[in-house]
Amino acid sequence: MSFFFELLKNRIGFSRIGRITLTENAKDPFYTPNNIIPINKPMMENLDFIENCGQHEVFVIKDEIYLKDEFIHEMFKDSGFLYLHTGAFKKYSIILENKKKIFENDNVISILPFNIPTTIINKEFFYDELHNYFELSSNILNKFPHLNFGITIKLFEYPELIEEYVKFIKDHENICLLNLADLFDNFVYFRTIIKTLITIKNELDNNLVLMASGRLLTNFYPLLVYLGIDLIDSSYLIYMASENFYDSIEDIIPIYKMRFLPCNCVVCRKKLNKELEEKNSIEKMNYLCYHNLISATNYMRKTIQYLHTEDFRNFVEKSAFNDTYFISLLKILDNYHYNEIECYSKMIQKNKEINSLGPSSHNRPDFKRFRKKVVETFQPESWTKLIVLFPCSAKKPYSESRSHQRFYSILRKYSDFPMFQEIILTSPLGAIPRQLENIYPVNCYDISVTGEWSFEELRIASDMLISLLKKFNPHIPIICHLDGGYREISKIAEKEVENPFYYSELTENLTNYSSLNNLQQLIDQRKDEYSLKEDSENEIYTKTWTRKFSKILDYQFGSGFSKDIIGEGIYYAKDKFNTKLTIFDSKQKVKLGSFKFDTGKIRLTIQGAERIAFKSDFSKYLVFDGDKIRGNTLFRPGIINFNSDLLPDENVCIFNRSKDKIVAMGDMIVGSQFIKNSSSGKVVKLYETR
Amino acid sequence: MKLDDTLEKRYNCLAEEINFIRQKSIRGKKKNPRRDLNKPVSFWIKRERLLDEIGKEFTIILKTRGCGWALSESGGCSMCGYIEDAAIDDIDQKLIIEQFEYAVQQKLEEIQNDSHNYAIKLFNSGSFFDEAEISPNTRLKIYKNITLIPNIKEVTVESRIEFINRKILEEMLDFLKYNYIEIGIGLETADDHIRNNYINKGLLYDDFLDVYELCKNMGIGIKAYLLFKPPFMNEQAAIDECIYSIKKLIKIGVNTISINPMNIQRGSLVESLWHQKRYRPPWYYSLFKCLRKALNPKDLKKTRIVCDPSGAGTRRGIHNCLDYECNNNMKQKLEEFVLSQDLNALTIEDHNCLCKTQYELQRKYI
Repeated sequence: MSFFFELLKNRIGFSRIGRITLTENAKDPFYTPNNIIPINKPMMENLDFIENCGQHEVFVIKDEIYLKDEFIHEMFKDSGFLYLHTGAFKKYSIILENKKKIFENDNVISILPFNIPTTIINKEFFYDELHNYFELSSNILNKFPHLNFGITIKLFEYPELIEEYVKFIKDHENICLLNLADLFDNFVYFRTIIKTLITIKNELDNNLVLMASGRLLTNFYPLLVYLGIDLIDSSYLIYMASENFYDSIEDIIPIYKMRFLPCNCVVCRKKLNKELEEKNSIEKMNYLCYHNLISATNYMRKTIQYLHTEDFRNFVEKSAFNDTYFISLLKILDNYHYNEIECYSKMIQKNKEINSLGPSSHNRPDFKRFRKKVVETFQPESWTKLIVLFPCSAKKPYSESRSHQRFYSILRKYSDFPMFQEIILTSPLGAIPRQLENIYPVNCYDISVTGEWSFEELRIASDMLISLLKKFNPHIPIICHLDGGYREISKIAEKEVENPFYYSELTENLTNYSSLNNLQQLIDQRKDEYSLKEDSENEIYTKTWTRKFSKILDYQFGSGFSKDIIGEGIYYAKDKFNTKLTIFDSKQKVKLGSFKFDTGKIRLTIQGAERIAFKSDFSKYLVFDGDKIRGNTLFRPGIINFNSDLLPDENVCIFNRSKDKIVAMGDMIVGSQFIKNSSSGKVVKLYETR
Repeated sequence: MKLDDTLEKRYNCLAEEINFIRQKSIRGKKKNPRRDLNKPVSFWIKRERLLDEIGKEFTIILKTRGCGWALSESGGCSMCGYIEDAAIDDIDQKLIIEQFEYAVQQKLEEIQNDSHNYAIKLFNSGSFFDEAEISPNTRLKIYKNITLIPNIKEVTVESRIEFINRKILEEMLDFLKYNYIEIGIGLETADDHIRNNYINKGLLYDDFLDVYELCKNMGIGIKAYLLFKPPFMNEQAAIDECIYSIKKLIKIGVNTISINPMNIQRGSLVESLWHQKRYRPPWYYSLFKCLRKALNPKDLKKTRIVCDPSGAGTRRGIHNCLDYECNNNMKQKLEEFVLSQDLNALTIEDHNCLCKTQYELQRKYI
């Protein structure tokens, strides 16, 4: 059995966590993303290398002399290996034939080499060369049908030819890894990079391992991981070391400039430090090699750590400041390719503080999805008779902040307070109805506040506010208890909507006695300005959390579904750790779902889902090939039908084969795009089965 | 012996590019004044490995109208800039004989007074057997004159294979029956794809084999030229390909293999790639590695390996770093190997330049 890749978790952007399993008994699997350390003769001759890098998870062998048992099984017994021949294809074929057993039994991942031509003269020339490469590769792939291979993808300056690769890869099932050899050589072409990756994501099996090689520096790593790269070849750092360059992570600096080594690795501390003043020597070059590799590995570990436990997007943004093209790439990706990212990106990060760093964060995918979904799914409560706009607060959820508690103290004086719709203005999330203050990312974001708003911040917030206000009856009065930039937002909105706007008079700040008093007077004056039609429904929705659940359910499943779930009323109970609220039907006393504070998401029970799942416009479902699911994961082969717009993290119900019964409930691990393109892998994490 | 139509079509894009560069170069080239045409481009005597002994070579580079392949629409070979030395227009054949005679006159005394045996090498930066360059009569006169030079044991000429036929070879044998004749053919590599797609040689290996068989049957030796590190190749691929070619040629029993490490010639496609930093001439280390891996003492008894790199040690020729000592040391080792045909000469353990480690670290990425 040959190596295979398993996608374990999606993370924000295209980033993902996966596992590559080699031959079943030979070695433990290794996890991705990871950097690959090259093994070559000069480094292997030095014991320092084995000492410093010997424990690394994955290596790339570029010299056939290391394709031997004692090396793979004894010296590096816990590591995974790739083999990438750097010369001619013909020689590679001979090596493959001679070392067949190593590849078959030890499962060294063999990558089809595309080293020549090293350059091209025009598109026709490249096209011919590409087809020659396909011909040679095809012979190998057909000759070893039970061995999985990697394929090297070189595009030179013709990214459109990725389509040729896509056709070829689709025709050969034993291609399991794509080695993008020159895609990241020049970030000037960031648009090309994005387009190529999106083509690969959308058209090929998402279980293909994506590997990046070529001129890759350490500071590329977070961005590459964000772009969905699983394995990153660190070989170029060896090349840079041989040219006497020192990797400072943010940059690569000629060693002659180095006076203060910023690294405390074993090489810098003991050896390189002494060599700084000396002329270039073989030893110095070797030390640079080790340092550069250690530095790359450490930074990769940091990247993986952030990917697993922290707000990875924030880390990527910070690292993007190392290069202007990285910033451009992120900007273009956020602004023009949101629809593609949405299909793959994890949109909920629990237990994390999401820091917005400035313009680069405004359109990050999770923020964008929030804004998009709120505008799409939020429907005003029919009993709303007054809209009150408030500014955001540093503490989340807003209602727990001191300022909002003061606002609350005023609003709660009114018995008809549930008929007020509060909207909170903020940057960069926009305008947030009070009912949605507990969902991600509203419950955990933060931003530097100076009182000065940029044009883009004003635009984002005012656009969203306008979209929300337009959903309300145009006669409902809007009270704005706002100052500074917040007030500017409401002024912009005032020009676009018909509703009357009233501004509370402020003295010094929003929360002092006099300002709050003014707010109260304004509410007194305006709260009955709009007269409601008779509506009994609001009796059910008098409680804050019921109103919240209603809007959260609409947010998750689409407008109107909350009505069916809540039915004739609900009640909820807190658990003893105060981590979740369990929702029950108030009449039948059945459990409908639970709301977890860390994810800001409601998970419906089968009974809860049954209330909406059989409606014709319900879309959050998959059809399982059977009547009973065992275990807690639904894999791709078990799915026979699915809705095409499922996204990672969404709460879904799983129907039986005949679609007349819900057999399980779960959270999507991947999106519909993955299910469409792949034939294996985890799809849904189940939390309830029948 | 022409490439078939489909093959020709496939190679057109490379040919067009080469032809464009070539025509530009030809247009810019000053036509040679007539007084120059009665003297060869160059001639020299130096130590050389003869078949069974160390001897000397007397090389004459004749100036003709130029290589027909380079002057054709194909544009010629991607690495070749010898057309710069050619006259482009037709040359009076008398002048070619004068060129030959001038070189012989200049060196005759030295040869007569030398105890070494000699190999005469007549090169015309094209094909010796191409009538458009050298007429049959001129060839015959040259053969006749060669017989008059003392100590000449071997005669070497070069030609593209389309000009080699039984009649021409018989004619040569008639005059030079007491000499070992060797025909130099620019095979460049045993791989058809590289030869035609990267070098634009317009030659198939099977056609080379036909000519090889013909020569072998007539008792004429073949000297196959292999180009070390053709354009569009990296160091490791160059090593792999050259090893493959050497082994293949030794297997069929080619008499001499001349390995020509790439040098950057003016007016060639390779020069334009080099200017754009898309090509670097090979490292000496690569050549040594290739020779060590491809050869063994047994093979060296059967096949003579020669290598006399042009522009060695300079940016345009095979070089390591640009340190004179480093390159000179490698050059001497190579010369020693060629003369002695002893692989031990190619060991570089005693060579301690910083660039050796640099090369080892970079080889897999360049």
